[in-house]
Amino acid sequence: MAGDALILTVVAISVPWFASILVAMSRRQVRVIGFMASSVSVFASALLLRSAPAGESLYEALMVLFSSLAAGATLIIPRRDCNPGTIGGILFILGSTLLAYSTQNLLVLLAAWILSAMPFCLVRWLRAPSWRPQTALLLSSIALALASALIAAQGHAMSIVSLKGRSPGGMVAFGLLVVAVIFRKGICPAHAWVADAAEGGPAIPTALQLNGHFGALLVAKLIVPLFPDTSRNLFPLISYLAIATALYVAIRALTENSPRRLLAFIALSQSACILAGLESRTSEGITGALVHWFVVTVSTMGLFGILRLLEVRFGDNLTASRHLGLAQHAPRLAVFFVVFGLALVGLPGTLSFCSQDLLIHGTLASHPLIGLLLPIATAMNAVSIFRLFTRLFLGKRRTGFTLMADALPRERWILTAGVLFVVLGGLFPNVIVAQRPAEEETVGQAIRAPRRPTMFCPDRANRIDGPFASISNGFGQHLGRSKGRALA
Amino acid sequence: MNFSQVTLVFVVLAPGGVFAVFALLWLLGWVPTERVLGRITAQTFSGCVVALAVILWKLASTGDGAVVVLFGNWFAVGDYHFPLILMADRLSLPFMGLTVVLSGLIGQFSATYLHREHGFLRFFLLLHLFAFGSLLAFAAGSFDLLVAGWEMVGITSVLLIAFFQQRPAPVENGLRVFAVYRASDIGLLVAVFAMHHWSGTASFVAGLPHLTGAQVVIVCLLLLLAAAGKAAQVPFSGWLPRAMEGPTPSSAIFYGAISIHAGAYLLLRIQPMLAQSRLASGLVIMIGIITAIHGTIVGRASADAKTSLAYASLTQVGVVFVEIGIGWTWIAVAHILGHATVRTLQFLRAPSMLHDYHQMQSAMGGELSPAGSRLEDLFPKRAQLWLYRWALDRGHLDTILDRWVIHPLMQLSNLFARLDGMGLHRPARRPEEVAISMRPARQGGG
Repeated sequence: MAGDALILTVVAISVPWFASILVAMSRRQVRVIGFMASSVSVFASALLLRSAPAGESLYEALMVLFSSLAAGATLIIPRRDCNPGTIGGILFILGSTLLAYSTQNLLVLLAAWILSAMPFCLVRWLRAPSWRPQTALLLSSIALALASALIAAQGHAMSIVSLKGRSPGGMVAFGLLVVAVIFRKGICPAHAWVADAAEGGPAIPTALQLNGHFGALLVAKLIVPLFPDTSRNLFPLISYLAIATALYVAIRALTENSPRRLLAFIALSQSACILAGLESRTSEGITGALVHWFVVTVSTMGLFGILRLLEVRFGDNLTASRHLGLAQHAPRLAVFFVVFGLALVGLPGTLSFCSQDLLIHGTLASHPLIGLLLPIATAMNAVSIFRLFTRLFLGKRRTGFTLMADALPRERWILTAGVLFVVLGGLFPNVIVAQRPAEEETVGQAIRAPRRPTMFCPDRANRIDGPFASISNGFGQHLGRSKGRALA
Repeated sequence: MNFSQVTLVFVVLAPGGVFAVFALLWLLGWVPTERVLGRITAQTFSGCVVALAVILWKLASTGDGAVVVLFGNWFAVGDYHFPLILMADRLSLPFMGLTVVLSGLIGQFSATYLHREHGFLRFFLLLHLFAFGSLLAFAAGSFDLLVAGWEMVGITSVLLIAFFQQRPAPVENGLRVFAVYRASDIGLLVAVFAMHHWSGTASFVAGLPHLTGAQVVIVCLLLLLAAAGKAAQVPFSGWLPRAMEGPTPSSAIFYGAISIHAGAYLLLRIQPMLAQSRLASGLVIMIGIITAIHGTIVGRASADAKTSLAYASLTQVGVVFVEIGIGWTWIAVAHILGHATVRTLQFLRAPSMLHDYHQMQSAMGGELSPAGSRLEDLFPKRAQLWLYRWALDRGHLDTILDRWVIHPLMQLSNLFARLDGMGLHRPARRPEEVAISMRPARQGGG
């Protein structure tokens, strides 16, 4: 059984890589090759998911999701972008990301981390307006490499399973891992590179890369299992940073007029909620974060895909500073956009309504302050995404051109599949949520365990720590509930 | 499930089903004709009216207090669960009846009114979605489900305000209304969480959740925030004239009948809780009185028919809030039913108001009596001028909101933009124009 799983994993990872080499060499039929290779990954990941034991299928589910998105990306990508560089990049990112999801080895994880960032270090591929994307990815890779070296030196092992709970490398390794998360995930103050990358990079591959959510992966896969005690004590700090990012970026998005940057800010703000949920130490919060991971990934891919289709049809001068009235030319793209956009921010009837509900309940239970700020950030994101929708699609039609194609059948079917995922997931959320509690147990058992007195809070077990501790604890007491109950 | 339960499920799901089928078919390339849309809409809402009549007859004949349908949990995690409960009781049935009757009438009216209008299909799809959201909110047996319906009503409302999408004003006003809705809905979300947290449930099938004194006050205040936002009560009244940009039939059903009264329904639902808290009920009364006065003063200075009707509507909803705060729940329900019906008629007749006025004058054989239309003459001249200026700017509510909330937020956003641009070799970012319109609302709609 383990042998089968290994073969399937190797197939899921290696086929896209080989295909990317093939695409670079042959330079013909790149869309067909890309779609076939990513379909093989989807199939292999689905078989892996099917054979995975209950409660240990999170990464297999993510592999299916990511490879499906890559397959969708190869189909939806406009003809203008359908060149060996872009398709090859998508396949390369797919292989690297699946490698990161599937591995239980520290060194392999580091390699996958670096490989997935490599396309963004190529100047020809990423025409970012600044040096920040490359610098952030480089710094995160260096931090992870140093942390891995420390962990390997002190833990005398490279297997994540054998290093579990041993806190190898101590606070220094933990700190370096947190730095890696901050830079890779775009946590404030290292958030600006995400918008730069979205603005300068090829839209669809960049969205795919950002949706790997390597930062959250590092938290769930490495930081929590390896450093349970330190995580329990210092995780609130990451949680506060995550919610600060969600708020900062949500406010920042209010006046942003570049559609790509605006979408990047909204996606970043919503994905920061994943970290806040993971840290909430409640079943609802962690499950909500895991479900939200799925929602953010699908919705942002859909939004970036539609945006790229509009750019190709309308020209690269799309802006949110005035009304463009594109809905009259492309009503179906407008509907897809508004559904994906509102699905990202908790529209009832979509999966994010469920994930936001769980996230807010979970975070409010553990950190009232964060829990109150989360809906505020989401509300601002909703306003921003609706503003972008109104500016792009509504208003008076431009007279400069007469015809613009709506969604082509190829694009329509892919976007419909995405919409069906978020809508059917919203109508029958238990199909997805019911899979998560066991996984939540895996991710959250270390964080959610009752606290022991530590050097940071020797006599205040089960209290909220962090820079806003007094506010949070005070508010919690004011609400007349015990922290212990929230942690139970 | 017995017959009444099946009927209740049909009433709630029928408009949603019509919306889903037509939307999916449209996405796949099929566009229904106006005749098909009109007929299916009429048949759907007629079926709903008959089904509701059956439920009412069953309840009357059996003497039961409510029809309850338990579907189990929509989703559940640990101790937390999202129950799917539908309930038609004495409070929700009148609202459900109002929704299906008026939606059907609006459908019939719009089939002619919007004939050959670009966006005919869009209007009917949104009408069905709105009816589904309203019925879900009114038939919800828990606050969790009420939130889902509540938000759906908000989204459809905004999309209909921006119905005439070729003009920038409706689009910008739709965005503004959306922002106000989202801000006030935070109160509802946090209140539902608080109920779950303190009493373990947000279901009200077996009575409202048991809460202590302080908890009741907090929950009531949070729900009041949501209700005031939805019902355009002071200080949220600024969005109501902006909402008049939508087509007249949608203005009638949203701001004359259903949506504007959704806030009152929420307060009626929690009335036993309000009765426990003098602070909360006092605040409800105070907001109601202030809104009623605000509505009547501003309405008198409104230059177009729909806006003055909207403010008249606001005045009545303010009075309804007062009735709820005092505890006269059944008077409030009767007031809502009567007001919604009359106001819908007035809104629908608004485009032909002058014609109606002339007809009435002809029938009367002279000028209509101006009784009550010059109450402001009771004030001194100086106060009249001040009031007029105050009314023209709609109580300065939008100005206050712009100056103290939106403008600082935009400045903060521009500051963040400058911070983000530090260290880059490119021209400094020009401060962007205010994203959410600070222009005064344009009056009148289609």
